Amino acid sequence: MIKKSIESVGQYLLFLKKVFRKPEKFRIFFRQFINESDKLIISSVLLVGVISLFIGGVLVIQTASNLENPVIDKMYIGYMVRESLILEFCSTMIALILAGKMGSNISSEIGSMRITEQIDAMEMMGVNSAGFLVLPKIVATTLLSPLLMFLSLVLGLIGGYLVVETTQIIPTASYITGIKAFYNGFYVFYSCFKMSLFCFMISSISAFNGYYAKGGSLGVGRSSTKAIVVTSILILLADLIVTQLMLY
Amino acid sequence: MIKVENLNKSFDGVQVLKDISVTYEQGKCNMIIGASGSGKTVLLKNLIGLMEADSGEIIYGDRSLSQMNDNEKRQLRQNIGILFQGSALFDFATVIENVMFPMEFFTDWSPAQRKERAHYCLEKVNVIGSDDKYPNELSGGMQKRVGIARAIALNPKYLFCDEPNSGLDPYTSILIDRLISDLTKEFNMTTVVNTHDMNSILEIGDKIGFIHKGSMLWQGDKKTILQPDCQELKDFVCANTLARNIIEGK
Repeated sequence: MIKKSIESVGQYLLFLKKVFRKPEKFRIFFRQFINESDKLIISSVLLVGVISLFIGGVLVIQTASNLENPVIDKMYIGYMVRESLILEFCSTMIALILAGKMGSNISSEIGSMRITEQIDAMEMMGVNSAGFLVLPKIVATTLLSPLLMFLSLVLGLIGGYLVVETTQIIPTASYITGIKAFYNGFYVFYSCFKMSLFCFMISSISAFNGYYAKGGSLGVGRSSTKAIVVTSILILLADLIVTQLMLY
Repeated sequence: MIKVENLNKSFDGVQVLKDISVTYEQGKCNMIIGASGSGKTVLLKNLIGLMEADSGEIIYGDRSLSQMNDNEKRQLRQNIGILFQGSALFDFATVIENVMFPMEFFTDWSPAQRKERAHYCLEKVNVIGSDDKYPNELSGGMQKRVGIARAIALNPKYLFCDEPNSGLDPYTSILIDRLISDLTKEFNMTTVVNTHDMNSILEIGDKIGFIHKGSMLWQGDKKTILQPDCQELKDFVCANTLARNIIEGK
């Protein structure tokens, strides 16, 4: 088991070396980058938006129900919702959701190409298949995923606002004051960094699993499942390490 | 011309190719034939460099494949066209984009020139008016044709076809066989076809090598195969009723 894991890590690093070779033609790379940005990032906007809107609302209710002490100012509810969204939800939770959506998409797409010999055909033409297929996905997800983090943050706060406004669980003015209080720009940078790192992991690990898929359509299914499970665990592990390194 | 010298390949201690030596000639359809599991596909994958042999040499022109560096191998691959068993057309691309794909990477042609060349190749394989269709909208025969058009897009010196007739009806099979044969002659390519289809062998087999349990037991052409002088080949050939009737003079 340990030997197999070490072999997999080695194979993954060799795969990344192949992926990060200079693209044959930047025009083709750029076109692929635009396509992948649309397929992986833009298409995730709705999912991220809907989830963030609801979670923002739920966070307000949960925080309010746990802070009923009259000594504590109600504006702290808004403050805590914002910090929860920035520090954990908009990066880690959204990344775990994207691990399912983007990870299965990438792994099954590349896995299907592997078992139908499309990757062999590219290699035989002399095209660096890993560079052509995987590099634009990694670059698109790593560079553009912070936009999803910002979108999630904004919609999460709006979700909270809508709940406050409709239920008056706390005064709206307190909520607004809370979400503006004690702002720390480094937390936003920390969240963007985590999001980029997690999305790099999602795209590269899923692509790696798809690229080496074996055994027909069952193999593609297995590689997708493995990609999601491995990525999710590694995201949580990386979250722990990055948080310790950056915040403590 | 491609020369194979004393090629050996094994997997987990099981020898799949045993001391294979054969020459594939330019301007001819060179067939690799044999029953399923005989080692045909392994030989083909070694020839095109998707697998590495344990020992032996594969010589393209005057250069050994094993002595080529990555850059030389890449250049060689631009002179190789391959038709895969399942066509291996790119799902993300239309018919015309599939044919233009290698041109985009390896030529500096303008989009208009690429399109013109792609249309020329598609006309050669008689696929007209399907430029904007995706592979899943085409029949098996059409996919093979587009696969051939893509394979010849860069005017290759070598064409490899892995089971070009698998999954096709007999009529379409013959059309694909003739297309491969005609293009081989027209472009003077060294064509290697991996098949176990006796109809194909009798139709286009300019040079035939019979593999049995990893060994090249017999070499000849489409005429001499009907007078087989080895029992294994006779058993293989006579599994086809038409060939058996010819051999038995019925």
